Amino acid sequence: MPLGFKPGHRARASRGRLSPFRTLTIALLAIALSATAGGFAYFIPAAVTAWNATAQVVNVPSPSPATILFSPSPSPSQAPQSEGAFTVLLLGSDDDSKFFADHVLTQSMILVRVVPATKEVTMLSIPRDLYVQGYGKIDGAYSYGGAGAAIAVVQQNFRVHVDDYIWVGLLGLIKVIDAIGGIDVVTTNPVLDDYYPSDVYGGSPYETQRVAVLAGPQHLDGLHAMEYVRSRHGDLQSDFGRSKRQQQVLMAIRQKAKQLAPGDIPALAAAIGGELKTSIGLDRVARLIPLAASFDNPDSIRQIVLVPPYTHGGGPDGSITPNWSLILPLVHQYFP
Amino acid sequence: MIAKFLLAIGLAVLMVVSGTTSYIYLSTRQSKAVAAPQKPTITPRAKQVTLPGTIYLVQSGALYSFSVGRFHQLTPEAGWTMPALYPDGSQLLAVKRSAFYSDVYVLSRFGNVTGTLTNNQAAPRNRWDPGANAWSFYPRLSSDQRTLFMSYDGPKTAGDANFNVVMQVWGVPIGAAIRQGRSWTTANDYTGGDMQPLPLPAGGIIYTKYSYDSNGNRVGQLWFTNRAGSFGKALTPQAASCAQPSLSPDALNIAMICTYGKQVSYLTIATWNGSTLGPLQTVISDQLVAQPIWAPDGSGIAYLAPGGPAAPFQLWWLPKARYAPPAPSPVPVPTPTPGGPLNAPLPTPSPVAVPTPQVVKPVQITTNLGFDATSPLAWLG
Repeated sequence: MPLGFKPGHRARASRGRLSPFRTLTIALLAIALSATAGGFAYFIPAAVTAWNATAQVVNVPSPSPATILFSPSPSPSQAPQSEGAFTVLLLGSDDDSKFFADHVLTQSMILVRVVPATKEVTMLSIPRDLYVQGYGKIDGAYSYGGAGAAIAVVQQNFRVHVDDYIWVGLLGLIKVIDAIGGIDVVTTNPVLDDYYPSDVYGGSPYETQRVAVLAGPQHLDGLHAMEYVRSRHGDLQSDFGRSKRQQQVLMAIRQKAKQLAPGDIPALAAAIGGELKTSIGLDRVARLIPLAASFDNPDSIRQIVLVPPYTHGGGPDGSITPNWSLILPLVHQYFP
Repeated sequence: MIAKFLLAIGLAVLMVVSGTTSYIYLSTRQSKAVAAPQKPTITPRAKQVTLPGTIYLVQSGALYSFSVGRFHQLTPEAGWTMPALYPDGSQLLAVKRSAFYSDVYVLSRFGNVTGTLTNNQAAPRNRWDPGANAWSFYPRLSSDQRTLFMSYDGPKTAGDANFNVVMQVWGVPIGAAIRQGRSWTTANDYTGGDMQPLPLPAGGIIYTKYSYDSNGNRVGQLWFTNRAGSFGKALTPQAASCAQPSLSPDALNIAMICTYGKQVSYLTIATWNGSTLGPLQTVISDQLVAQPIWAPDGSGIAYLAPGGPAAPFQLWWLPKARYAPPAPSPVPVPTPTPGGPLNAPLPTPSPVAVPTPQVVKPVQITTNLGFDATSPLAWLG
């Protein structure tokens, strides 16, 4: 026995040394784990934003004694409808410093009905100045009672069932359009406004600025798209004309969204952060994305604006008076 | 023990590298749809096409010239837009747009400012009202270079403070004050007004007038007027909703875009006899075409259109063969052989393959530059 060599030493040394196979396995596992962790790290901010923005639970006040808890989807529609059809209330607000947080007016209210089976979409713009009992102008409902009140007032007056809502703030729309790289829109005419609110990047929310969005096909960034959909002073149809433009931009966003890749999600989520809320659950959002992409026929998207004779001016405090005898059959036809 | 320690260190490094690589890889997997356009300093892709002369166009508030396949930046990104050439090609007109007003400038062909033709800045009426400022858009010179035509919403007075911003086509003697100018058109209220004047060599202007159709939709129409203040006449139907007129070098054709009230844009041409347009001929219907302009040598039409779905606008080129194909060569007709047998059947012609007309496709000149599609192009021959 050589000097210094003790029995069992070789065996211990052999046990302490890793075999090449085990080393390789550990290395591969480590790579897989860390790569997955890197992927999680990339998507975690988006996941957190999505978690915070989606599945909002709101209380819908009801005329009946019992208050209905408006819960995240899936919630079956109460009205008879096509397979899987659902109705979403889109709400857009100028959430600048003129208002307290979450007590903002809804400058835009659009009822959207989606029928996946026939790939039909109907968008009905509700005039923000429409007179309704209890609130005066309908845009005040969200200010008084949040999304629940806005949904309730739409359900009660239009006799529709709203499955979900999506609320977007002023800055949210700008940031989303910028995050997706802008949109292509054919602006039908020059939109000129000498009294456009300078509340996005201006010093005071009460100041005004001049806006000139020129006519024709063009690529709009978020700020100019917002000017296009928000300006109403230079439009003889005022809020109705603006509603048409809002629907154009919504369709342009949908068109652009079809070009996006999963790698774009974090930037998009960062843009949305705090400026979007919806009652739609995260799982349902994941199912809706491919559905939205499959709607590729622009002719299957129906756009309705409640211009006269469905409404007429002269209501209390500058509101618009609805002609329910015309509106309700129309709504019943497209939002059964 | 040392081996295990080294292995642990190695694994840790491997994991950091792997995790970071994964993160970076995902961040590079963003779609091209969200990528910002590049500055036009690169050589465009379509090297096989060399457009004649120099085209002036706009990106992000800067004027660029495009000549022999290369771009040159003429001005800084400072609100420059709507370049137009002097009829003799010696200088450029362009608009410099600020937040509340815009002015027409004269520039050398290399972008140096040599003069100002308008002065539209005004003090606010009060803290909340910047409406005393004015816009000047779409400047053009008459063929004698003595009159500036432009869309203009002034001059303003204190009593003008209302929501109706009226852009009308004005003609102003070059170098004169605006009060020496005259409104050539009378715009419809709350429509956006009258835009894009196109002075004609024989006098008069073609311009785009916006109005409401019977359904309450706002539409564009090309109009013609031969003198200031006359009512003028419509050249295109409301239903076609046309705008952005461009006159061919021989002054016999007009190119324009027509949207038919939809979110589409067709490149359309029509003959022009000095007072009326011929039938509208759609040349391109599958692109969102903007700002068509004829090549000075008549070899085709350049225009702006997205490089892909919902993408920024690129420079495109449509060869003349697309809209004015050469006349087909005559097919030979068999003739009876002289001296042939009487009453004999005529020789049957051997089947001649009739050449299928080749569809001439538009050529995309740039790929990722993103030009301002509201700014007309100018083209120097």
